[in-house]
Amino acid sequence: MKKLCSLALFLSFWGIAFSQTTISGTVIDETGEPLIGVNIVLQSDNTVGAITDFNGEYTLEVPNTNDSLVFTYIGYEPQTLAIAGRSQINLTMKLQTNVLDDIVVVGYGVQRKSDLTGSISSVDAEELNRVSSGNVEQLLQGRVAGVQVTPASGSPGTGAIIRIRGTGTLNDASPLFVVDGMLLNDIDFLNPNDIQSLEVLKDASATAIYGSRGANGVIIITTRKGRTQETQISVDAYYGRQEVVTQIDLTNAAEFAQLANEVAINEGRQPTFDDPAAFGEGTNWQDVIFRSAPIQSYQISANGGNENMTFNVSANFFDQQGIIRGSGFERLTARVNNEYKLFEGVKVGHNVSFIRTNRENGPGVLTMAYRAEPVIPVFNEDGSFADATVRIPVGNPEASIFYNNNNNTGNRLVGNLYMDVNFLKHFTFRTNFGFDDNRGQGKSFVPVFEVSPTSLQRNEESSLNVSSSTVKSWLWENTLTYSQEWDNHRLTLLGGMTSQEFSFENLGGSRRNFLGETEEFFYLSAGEAETQTNFNSGSEWSMLSYLFRVNYVFGDRYLLTASMRADGSSKFGENNRYGYFPSLALGWNLTNENFMQNVEFLSRLKLRGSWGIIGNEKIGAYAGKPTVTSNINAVFGVTEQLQSGASIVDLANPDIRWEETEQTNIGVEMGFFNNRLIAELDYYIRTTSDILVAVPIPDYVGSDSNPVVNAATVENKGVDINLQWRDNIGKLSYNIGAIASTVNNEVLALGDGQEEIFGGGLGVGGLLGTRTVVGLPIGAYYGYITEGIFQNAQELENYPTRGPETPGDLRFKDVDGDGVITTEDRTYIGSPIPDFIYAFNAGFEISGFDFAIEFNGQSGNKIINAKKMARFGTYNFETSFLDRWTEEGSSNTEPKVTNGGHNYEVSDRFIEDGAFTRLRTLQLGYTLPRNLLERFGLSKLRVYVIGNNLVTWTDYSGYTPEISSGSVISVGIDGGVYPIAKTYTVGLQVGF
Amino acid sequence: MKSLLYKNRLALIMMLLLTACSEDFLEKKPLGQLSSDTFFTTEEHAILSTNTVYSMLRNWEVHVFSYIGITDIVSDDADKGSTPNDANFLTEIDNFTFDPGNTAFGGVWSGFYRGIYRANLNINRIPEIDMNQALKERLIGENKFLRAYFYFKLVRWFGDVPLITVPLNPDEYKQARTPAAQVYALIEQDLLDAAASLPTSYPPDDVGRITQGAAQGLLSKVYLTQGNFAGAEQYAMAVINSGNYALFPNYSELFQPQGENSSESLFEVQAAAFEIGGGGTQYNEVQGVRGVPNLGWGFNRPSDDLVKAYESGDPRRDATIFYPGEVLPDGSDIIRDNPNIENERFNQKAWVPDHPGGNGNGPGNIRILRYADVLLIAAEALNENGKAQEALTYLNMVRARARGNNQNLLPDVTTTNQAALRQRIWQERRVELAMEQQRWFDLQRQGRVGEVMRNVGKNFVDGKHELFPIPQTEIDLSGGLMIQNPNY
Repeated sequence: MKKLCSLALFLSFWGIAFSQTTISGTVIDETGEPLIGVNIVLQSDNTVGAITDFNGEYTLEVPNTNDSLVFTYIGYEPQTLAIAGRSQINLTMKLQTNVLDDIVVVGYGVQRKSDLTGSISSVDAEELNRVSSGNVEQLLQGRVAGVQVTPASGSPGTGAIIRIRGTGTLNDASPLFVVDGMLLNDIDFLNPNDIQSLEVLKDASATAIYGSRGANGVIIITTRKGRTQETQISVDAYYGRQEVVTQIDLTNAAEFAQLANEVAINEGRQPTFDDPAAFGEGTNWQDVIFRSAPIQSYQISANGGNENMTFNVSANFFDQQGIIRGSGFERLTARVNNEYKLFEGVKVGHNVSFIRTNRENGPGVLTMAYRAEPVIPVFNEDGSFADATVRIPVGNPEASIFYNNNNNTGNRLVGNLYMDVNFLKHFTFRTNFGFDDNRGQGKSFVPVFEVSPTSLQRNEESSLNVSSSTVKSWLWENTLTYSQEWDNHRLTLLGGMTSQEFSFENLGGSRRNFLGETEEFFYLSAGEAETQTNFNSGSEWSMLSYLFRVNYVFGDRYLLTASMRADGSSKFGENNRYGYFPSLALGWNLTNENFMQNVEFLSRLKLRGSWGIIGNEKIGAYAGKPTVTSNINAVFGVTEQLQSGASIVDLANPDIRWEETEQTNIGVEMGFFNNRLIAELDYYIRTTSDILVAVPIPDYVGSDSNPVVNAATVENKGVDINLQWRDNIGKLSYNIGAIASTVNNEVLALGDGQEEIFGGGLGVGGLLGTRTVVGLPIGAYYGYITEGIFQNAQELENYPTRGPETPGDLRFKDVDGDGVITTEDRTYIGSPIPDFIYAFNAGFEISGFDFAIEFNGQSGNKIINAKKMARFGTYNFETSFLDRWTEEGSSNTEPKVTNGGHNYEVSDRFIEDGAFTRLRTLQLGYTLPRNLLERFGLSKLRVYVIGNNLVTWTDYSGYTPEISSGSVISVGIDGGVYPIAKTYTVGLQVGF
Repeated sequence: MKSLLYKNRLALIMMLLLTACSEDFLEKKPLGQLSSDTFFTTEEHAILSTNTVYSMLRNWEVHVFSYIGITDIVSDDADKGSTPNDANFLTEIDNFTFDPGNTAFGGVWSGFYRGIYRANLNINRIPEIDMNQALKERLIGENKFLRAYFYFKLVRWFGDVPLITVPLNPDEYKQARTPAAQVYALIEQDLLDAAASLPTSYPPDDVGRITQGAAQGLLSKVYLTQGNFAGAEQYAMAVINSGNYALFPNYSELFQPQGENSSESLFEVQAAAFEIGGGGTQYNEVQGVRGVPNLGWGFNRPSDDLVKAYESGDPRRDATIFYPGEVLPDGSDIIRDNPNIENERFNQKAWVPDHPGGNGNGPGNIRILRYADVLLIAAEALNENGKAQEALTYLNMVRARARGNNQNLLPDVTTTNQAALRQRIWQERRVELAMEQQRWFDLQRQGRVGEVMRNVGKNFVDGKHELFPIPQTEIDLSGGLMIQNPNY
């Protein structure tokens, strides 16, 4: 029997009576946004002070109401206001320079940017919305130096693969997400319009407080909070169209028939088609599956509150149809972020969102359209579907779309409840209970159909698969913060304890032979009971952690941060149950030194350095424990009955423990010309050791799956650069910026006796196209180097061969020079990891118009065009096959056309350059003048148009050069990726 | 307390958080699964885990697509079949243009070794279970037979293979190839142990489990393969003299549902197709008549050479090969012509009348070892051992069953010339066991595979193609300890 973790909470109270006056108020900026972290001290005694909270609110006890308050906030003009007997003092602070948002959300708290010792980048919420996508992960692309964002696919509603400062593991290298204090592994649910601020934590000083979950970086998101103001209603709406950016160049029917005949001849068979030219253009299957698809989002929100309660309530409807027919995604989000003041110094609040999704899963026709013969029409003359399976096992995509019924619906409740108690002036106790309850249901129905009486594309019995899943997590955090300022000292201590538990359960079943084939029959009861199957499984894991941090600032010049977290996880064996993750960082604000006061052009200069150890524990819940797999059944008996089977068919590793990443970071932050130019430069080295990975093991071991071991060491090092220029010319304000990062990824060790890790199943036979070895990047491509084509029999004699070559076949380089081509001649043929990632942006505002343009890109990485390699039969061809060798001297690059064999060995024939630059955003907006709007009772009206992904400059032949993969040892392998769309959007923002 | 809190001027509260968290919070058991901590402790566990080895026999990687490829399609019995462009890797097998990357080799290698791992686990863990001794010995015997069966196929396909007899620890994952002789030694020992501990038959609910006769029959084939004719004779005769087996009267029906687990059966992969899916194999589907009515894929087309191999009027030819226009054995339909298939023929022995639970859910038992095979092993061994007269007895038993009631067909063989009789026995094996995945192994052990292959126009290279290449992936993962077969 499982015992619940019992937490005993002891409260003790002291009543201490002082003769004091409480002053409270709200500090906002000129746009009405609350300012977080404004420093407020008593003029006569600067040991009496407060800092504004998330809502820009503060409370301060003063002994004397004849005194004055001094409000300071970096980047804003300081102000001194006489109390004059008031108990509420609100203030609008004016910008001092162009520097905005000088308070930064850090793990378990907020900090002034000037006090930061870690590498943390803030993303402006407004910038996020310059891309029309429902998924916040995709919006992060090109926003932060050192962050690589690769869309997981262009399929509606899908997320992205995020790599912060390179790939630090062979395992799951995605960052941790913290939304309003709730630790999450994904943010698919999040509505971009609800975001108030987003911080990317990159170095150990920032992430070590998240211990075993921080090694791949942390993204902290704060959603919009209510403000003490008159209720404001705002409406945001946009509508757009999406189109495929490019089609892959495939052969038309005549070209296909010609090549198919040559394949047949080259493989010793009779030509397939009598008169290839007669086929003409034939069918372009890509035209069949792609469409122009709408994307739209509508949001209404209300924000307001008073001293005792603030609220932010929003509702959003997002709808994106896929550019591949039959796919789509809808999401309804409702959010209530409220805070209540119970007593003086005691606040409770909640940030809760409820999300409903409906995803239409496409029938997977992308690969079919790539492969289907163009000589087959879409429809026969009588209007029925044409049979595409005549010669190859590839169906008619149109028929697949027609017969597809596959939907997923989801309901998710995510949020937190918290209580803050301020006491004894310097203490804040916070208890935070976070929850995530994610329930999904999937239904997939296949009707009875046959494309034609002889077609293989058919289904003889209707069937329905229903599955539901529940993913639940709760988190309980209790932290105590002590803040004290005296003389030149500023000290913050944080201690806490957290526990989190996760559980997963799925339940499903299937039946066949349904009473009807319309939606009202998509229930298992409508199927034949004798055909029923069911399943139900679950898993759970838990963590228990203790954390501690000290921040100390001396004289606004010398900064120190030290932290420690201890994590215990149920995923790991008892011997390795707890891990300890320390960090230490120092900073120096040179601009606050006396000797720097005369350097006029330099408005800011800070040096900082950090070191720490963080962990990564993203493996299966029971990876440390072998499990018994059941339902491996056998048939016996005269009456042929199933007898149950069960055994330990998967190997496990009881000794596994978390990976440890040691990260060192050196950074400099500079501001020039009154901070018109801001430059940030960071250099980092991240070394991850004991990397957990399911290393491919030989099949002769006989395990059904590969066990996880702590094997490897990987180093990432590089530079992150951020440059921003902002200025005004008269009424024109403008900005230009660039971010750039370099990544050098190198495997330092692979563990005892491990010389290489192969990955990346390619082609028909699952050839391994990546080889991870010491000294090269993770997942480096591995294969033969081509040196032309064997033109004639003489050349076959003259050059080394593997054996099967004939004239017209690829000639491989004899790398080891032994006079014969063997597997030993395979070598490094490219890296999947870009060594340079960049983005630049520019914008201006004048007379209500705003304009923004953004580019992003990467270089140095290669792609394996794996879809071209996998020819199980005579599929359609990429047009590159037309350059084939046909006779001596006809080609020295493209071999004679075949479906497999020698020319389909992994070689640089299939390697393409993955570099690209993309025009990510082009935006033009117009905000109507306020005096005009007031006549209509409006506070804001802005209309805008956005174009996303309009142009991509790349040499890659596929739909997109961004090829994602969940597995870091199989990256950049393009087996057919749902393309990213280009999008044109018009939008409207209205405030009441 | 409330009044205290309402007091405006108070600074209060000290909160102290004590945690009394039990260690249980971090102790999570697998859900919905048996725990490995307590597995292999009961009799039930021993049966469950043994059944997983049998389950492997129905696996795609063991007895289905690639398997057909490197037994029948590679031989002169069959061509690839299906449409010309379908499954290029099997075309390469058919034409001897394959290389170590061909997926067929990696497929069976993986499937057979998974079976070996499961058997190894059982052979090593069942002995420690406190349970009925007789049952324990039987189950270990079943596992040993199955392990021997898996290795016997591997050693004939690949030659030297890693000989693994215990579940490996991570530091043992890098293995070299073990000389074939040592692999054969284990096979023989396992089969001897199995023959000693297994029953001759099972109660009705357990029919299909490995018997003593199966172990002895397979052992005779193992000896025959190595040229140990005395051993082959000894164990083939042991099966014959046991009196537990008899030829099924009707050759054609032997491969239909009524012929499953017949008097002739020593070892069949047990399959059944349940309405809910499961229980079956794809053996029937991949070889089934392409398109309607069978919805098969049409692979493994009986070759021209096989068609010609039968003696005039031999009923076994019609029982083995389907042609378009032919009425299905159950009379339900005729085979319709498929214009996209050149020279259309199908393997009738893989035909099943129905496949409930999905096209890929074939209910046909896969006949691995049957009495006719043992009779011909006996005949071959006896002839080699100078007992031609006895050999003729068993050879002619097989011919007699084949001819059925038509006395004009398939006259008894009478020659006692050792060389001539050898040829007659080899010929008889071919037609009797055609399309049952035997031919390649027979040609290989008979030392004439290259000659026969070249005679049918295949690009067989002596010194190379006798053995298939070790899958390249496996060589890579062995850290280079495994060396490829010659000339690949």
